[in-house]
Amino acid sequence: MEPVKPKSNRAPVGNIPCDNTTLNLLKANDFVAKAIRDRLPDVLVVNVCSSPGSGKTTLMQETGKRLRGKLNMAVLVGDPETERDAIRMRDVGINALQIVTGGMCHIEAQMILQALDHINLEGVDLLFIENVGNLVCPAAFDLGEDLRVTVLASTEGDDKPKKYPRMFHTSELLLVSKSDLLPYVPFSVDAVTQDARDVNPDIQVMTISSLKGDGLDAWCNWLVEQVNLKKKNQKVV
Amino acid sequence: MHEIYLVQNVLRTVEELFPDTPPEKIKCIHVRAGELSNVQPILMQNAFQAVVQDDARYQRTKLKVEVTPILIQCSACGKTTQVRNYTFVCECGRPSKNIIQGDELQLHDVEFY
Repeated sequence: MEPVKPKSNRAPVGNIPCDNTTLNLLKANDFVAKAIRDRLPDVLVVNVCSSPGSGKTTLMQETGKRLRGKLNMAVLVGDPETERDAIRMRDVGINALQIVTGGMCHIEAQMILQALDHINLEGVDLLFIENVGNLVCPAAFDLGEDLRVTVLASTEGDDKPKKYPRMFHTSELLLVSKSDLLPYVPFSVDAVTQDARDVNPDIQVMTISSLKGDGLDAWCNWLVEQVNLKKKNQKVV
Repeated sequence: MHEIYLVQNVLRTVEELFPDTPPEKIKCIHVRAGELSNVQPILMQNAFQAVVQDDARYQRTKLKVEVTPILIQCSACGKTTQVRNYTFVCECGRPSKNIIQGDELQLHDVEFY
């Protein structure tokens, strides 16, 4: 490697305060996130986060089936590897595009911006971003979404909001999934609601079972409501 | 968290801020990470060692990561409260999401030789 030569004889010495410069990684991400918002003024963008295996893809499949005829929905789905999730969604007729992050633990705004060139969004009212399964890293990356929804399966335990505070702090809605398993697992919806509200006083909580269908109508009605608010140019939630 | 990636970004941010300064002149980089930023100082240190190991220019450079507590300012009473145990409630008992410190990940200070 070429040694770097000083280009100026006014090299800094001692301490230089940096005015708390935000790392360019996050600055660049926020810049791109804004470009995504500007590009999709009429589409409600929902960033769906959770740990792996909480049922995000199954939820997307069931949501797609229920919203058919009501909303035009599309999904960008991120995974470290494979096209499997996009195939699962296309199998039930959902307009889905896979984002393979190549091992990366989160999606960044740049990946979404590029994906927008490869998915047909004509007439689409609702764009889901199914994030990489991870409750830590995705929390720090704004993807230009209007709403962030965190899915937490009843099998994961009700102690997660305080363990992963940033994720719950930055979400508008907590979806407790796999509610059909609640009778069999030590999970209290009241306790998780209490902890989630400690971390985020404004968070809404819903309980759903994608397999049995419980709570899906309420979830879909909420989505329709949010899409209408967005179309009227009002602040969602 | 993606510490290697963050460390590479710290170095790139410094290089952009001081384009005319050779990295050999950098003594210490101070990063400020909010308690809510999901950054673990020890993991950042390990990642930093791993990144600079293969880059002779940064052999004399150190990284210091300071974790800052979460502070909220109540919109009702105006008081500033430190958030403990991730409970976002003001001393006056009202919940608040108005963070004034603690979710940042910033370059704070750079020391030179």
